[in-house]
Amino acid sequence: MPILGKASPEDMNLRPMHYQWAYDLYNQAVRNTWFPHEIALKEDLEDWNKMTEDERHAVKFTMAFFNPAELIVNRVLALGVYPYLKSPECHLYLAKQMWEEANHCVAFEYVLETFPFDREKIFQVHLETPSMQAKENYVMKYLKRMTEVKLDIETPEGKKDFIRNLVATNIVMEGTWFYSGFMVALSFRQRNQLRNFGSMIDWVLRDESLHLKFGIQLIQTVLEENSELLTEEFANEIKSIIVEGVNIENAYNKDLFPNGILGLNADYVNQYVQYVADRRLTELGLPKEYNVSNPAKWMSTATDVLELVNFFEQQNTKYEVDSGHTQKTNV
Amino acid sequence: MELKVTKRDGTKELFNADRINRSIERAAFGMMDPISKVTQVATDTKVTLYDGITEEELDEATISAAVQNIKEDIDYDKIATRLLLKTVYKSVLGDYDQSPEILKKVHKEHFPSYIKQGVAGKILDERMEKNFDLEKLSSVLDISRDEIFIYSGLSGLLHRYSVKDKNQQAFETPQYLFMRVAMGNAYNEKDPTEWAIKFYEKMSQHEYIAGGSTNINAGTPNPALSNCFLLEIHDDMGHISKSVSDVMLLSKASGGLGASITKLRATGSPLSSNNTTSSGPTPFAKIIDTAIRAIQRGGKKKGALCFYMENWHLDFPDFIEWKHNAGDDYLRMRTADTAAYLSDEFMKRVEAKTDWYMFDPKETPDLNELYGKAFSARYAQYVQMAEEGKLKMWKKVPATEQYRAILVALQTTSHPWLVFKDPINLRALNNNTGTIHMSNLCTEICLPQDRKNVAVCNLASINIAGHLKKKQIDWQKLEETTRTAIRQLDNLIDINVLPIPEAVKSDSENRAIGLGVMGFSDAIEQLGIPYDSPHSYDFTDKIFEFISYMAIDESANLAVERGSYKNFAGSEWSKGKVPVDTMEKLENERGMIIDVDKKSKQNWLDWGALRVKVKSGMRNATLMAVAPNANIGLVAGTTPGIDPRFAQIFSRNKISGKYLDINHNLVTELKNLNLWGMVKDKIIELQGDISSIEEIPPHIREIYKTSFSVSPYAFVEVAARAQKWVDQALSRNMYLDDRDIDKTMDIYFTAWKKGLKSTYYLHMKPRHGAEQSTVSVNKSAKLGKTGFASVFKNAESATINVEPVSVVENIVIEPVREEVIEKEQEQIMDVKPLVIPTETVSHQIFAKVQTQLPNVEPISFTKTSSEKHFQEKIIDGKVYKVHMPTDPAENNLCDGCQ
Repeated sequence: MPILGKASPEDMNLRPMHYQWAYDLYNQAVRNTWFPHEIALKEDLEDWNKMTEDERHAVKFTMAFFNPAELIVNRVLALGVYPYLKSPECHLYLAKQMWEEANHCVAFEYVLETFPFDREKIFQVHLETPSMQAKENYVMKYLKRMTEVKLDIETPEGKKDFIRNLVATNIVMEGTWFYSGFMVALSFRQRNQLRNFGSMIDWVLRDESLHLKFGIQLIQTVLEENSELLTEEFANEIKSIIVEGVNIENAYNKDLFPNGILGLNADYVNQYVQYVADRRLTELGLPKEYNVSNPAKWMSTATDVLELVNFFEQQNTKYEVDSGHTQKTNV
Repeated sequence: MELKVTKRDGTKELFNADRINRSIERAAFGMMDPISKVTQVATDTKVTLYDGITEEELDEATISAAVQNIKEDIDYDKIATRLLLKTVYKSVLGDYDQSPEILKKVHKEHFPSYIKQGVAGKILDERMEKNFDLEKLSSVLDISRDEIFIYSGLSGLLHRYSVKDKNQQAFETPQYLFMRVAMGNAYNEKDPTEWAIKFYEKMSQHEYIAGGSTNINAGTPNPALSNCFLLEIHDDMGHISKSVSDVMLLSKASGGLGASITKLRATGSPLSSNNTTSSGPTPFAKIIDTAIRAIQRGGKKKGALCFYMENWHLDFPDFIEWKHNAGDDYLRMRTADTAAYLSDEFMKRVEAKTDWYMFDPKETPDLNELYGKAFSARYAQYVQMAEEGKLKMWKKVPATEQYRAILVALQTTSHPWLVFKDPINLRALNNNTGTIHMSNLCTEICLPQDRKNVAVCNLASINIAGHLKKKQIDWQKLEETTRTAIRQLDNLIDINVLPIPEAVKSDSENRAIGLGVMGFSDAIEQLGIPYDSPHSYDFTDKIFEFISYMAIDESANLAVERGSYKNFAGSEWSKGKVPVDTMEKLENERGMIIDVDKKSKQNWLDWGALRVKVKSGMRNATLMAVAPNANIGLVAGTTPGIDPRFAQIFSRNKISGKYLDINHNLVTELKNLNLWGMVKDKIIELQGDISSIEEIPPHIREIYKTSFSVSPYAFVEVAARAQKWVDQALSRNMYLDDRDIDKTMDIYFTAWKKGLKSTYYLHMKPRHGAEQSTVSVNKSAKLGKTGFASVFKNAESATINVEPVSVVENIVIEPVREEVIEKEQEQIMDVKPLVIPTETVSHQIFAKVQTQLPNVEPISFTKTSSEKHFQEKIIDGKVYKVHMPTDPAENNLCDGCQ
């Protein structure tokens, strides 16, 4: 059974399974389940009171971007990805991913409710800030082709649109923009501020890493099953979509850090975005564009190595539910 | 871009790169290739600056720049440490001249005024000035000992323990801090100055470190120096309410708490007052859970408490759900921890696969007080009464089912911890003062409590790694350290202030102390001994036997000098018993041999003479307890407690910040072998697990294992060897990479059989983490996919010429797993009590410990078992094996995804 195509009755059978990787990702995603109320934000509120205006702006601005962004991803998944996949195991994964996006939205909502924010103002930011509008328009442009232009998914052009949409959302929005947002959010913890918010970001990041895995695997599978898409022209187009995403992010980063704060400024974040984008390009088999080094070396402490939590002090974010459960695999 | 710096007085000046460079240069003094290091830190600092940055932030930026390079070279740790010290010196001593000689002088000269200002500002106790010769104390202060610190240790010490002035600015240097703690424990000595110097000499060289509360409060006007409290909650509304208040007051005094709720009647149990029924222990526990959240312990730590419940309580099945992340929030404990208090009777029923009965404590009130054979006999009577319909409320489940449920909860939520009631009570030397109803927050304290007594324990830990000399233990120094630490702990009790009379009573009448150890793994690494080897087990015996002997001897000396503790008469001490003698009693009551080597490894120690000495008096009811030491271990820059290295590189998420921990011993070895530069990135990418890096010689890989690759049976064996000599208990952290529940059941069963009193936190290796940021792993290459690469014939990406990696073979489908599990379970449950005559135990044990894991494994995973621990990861086109959980789903997820 091809992974892309129109729905047919045999799609509703989970067995025999064609895309085991999607089912495995689904199972891991279920084990990663967490809830916002597991994080207590009291100490973070004390940090908040000590932060400078520029630091607060950075946090608020990041929140203003993430909150609607999670819902945009959900819309893309529901309208631009889910309907065109035949594989029920992919549908299982997407169902869990959509719950996760909802959970992230609610998690940010929880932060917004807890911190002394002017919520109305924050909700307006993404509608009023051109650099944020540009990011949303960029993603919606590709989704609209899927929903309004309605190409036939079984034609090469329809498949190309599927890939374009997925690259814009999964590779650029989730896989690049979100990652730079996480780096900014975690940088506060690096300075011993907003540690509990940092724990929440750990969890969001763990989820997003899985989303990215799924997205890359999906793109690879579609390319493999549809070798007619493997043209230099289309490859260049995909690369340019990613490069465009990085360019849009430059303006956003200037709004995020009009003055810079200790440890971070717009140029620093731009370089990080370029570094991450190069990794995404490589993962898709495309040549690197920027060849820059990772400016945030401290991220090795934040995300790269195993973490030992002093659990009287911090929420342990490394737990998984559904333990002791023994998985049956009989294909 | 032109940068301006905002000075402390608000004025701005142009950023002066040269000044920053010079200060980094001073911090790099004495290093190899200092220029490149200084340049690296200076460059990294510059990219993070912004216009208008303050002076303090500039200091912070320089330190951060050094810290983020530690993974490249541990010299950057030294640079960061020195930069941080500089900020402290500047804050405490003012703008001193940069010459080290002048600094040394100013540091000494300022000390008396630090004490005097502290006393005048009510930051320090009056006795700090009155009882001491401050000039003499100044003369021994040695600022060069600040060089011993590593960055995370110094940062933790300053953040957690140092006394701040009224404006929350640094008020003391690290050496002042150690001297303050030394003085704050020496007020009542005949010559306080002389003893303060002795204590200072030990602590300032990290030979032992006092417990957290002592470091925070010693020498201050509020010397709340105790670390642990254990209280019982009784089954009446008045006492429950009082307990909530006690918990809050004790938390405020900066201690961790154990609280037993076994006595609270079960859900549905009748209330006599209004003819309704009880809501059970959960809602009352929730009140306490909420209360401790509100408390900032000593202003620095959140309240922390562990609930204990015996597993015959009717509500025990609810109790093990308390830490689940889903469910009604009113039935879940978000802050408190939980521990299951298990009897020998239960473990035997698990082994015999018989039923386990649960009762309402209202109907079976004496069970909580009984242990050993007496418990079993009474329990059997209640079982009979239940079956005859003479009890109103009870239920039964297969014992194995409850045991499994406990361990499933432990794997999923890391709670409840497993603590064993019978070895705790049967081996207690202080058993003349009542039943021990629980352990404490960190499962190392074993002290009795009742309505009139809230147990109190006072802690310090010896740094074993600080006692190495030329690849061996300096025993003479270790003896001196042990004796000094025991005296300091005994002194503490008469200075200590406690917030409730029940705690004062218990503390003064029992004088309970707990001397522990840290740096165990740090020491054996330097001695070249792998954690999971017979040599490490023998080393454990040697160390603990020695410290136990010296601690007991010193307490007996103090009894001669100062008198015995009030409850000494009737204790096992007064019968001439020492901890190791109590093994026999446990074996008799349990009716089985404790499966551990019992021979002395220090034949020259005269235990016979010591028994005679002990009989005539002891100063303290208890002497040893090995705390987890997660914080003071960090301060001393060594491994905590008896734990193995978590990984060769990992991050610590602490209240004082997130730190990268890198094993300096390993880095030094690799530098000596000229390998460090070649393998450092791989070590991060493999998350601190070097087992598959072939460039590193095998014997080194054997010594430097991660906690997830050490056999879990080794954790049990090390604790079992130590437990023989320790009169209280040990915080035994467990680490598992395998989620197979039957194996977990066997590991904990072995812990019980080997006589452990308790186990502590269970760390499960995460199956899936976030994408790594600083090392770049190509997800597609890992899958053997090339994406668009084929269309760019000459592009660099086309070179991802991954051999269609063994990926395909890895889609090994588990051979009908369900059946297999069934069998394995039977095997485990069929284990017969190992009755080995004591004389033959000694050396066979080694072999046994080693083979245990393989014994279990073949039952379930025939040939693939050893490979299942590994996942393959591709770095630079080479395939590495990464130690991973053996969950079959994981194998499919990571390798066989197509």
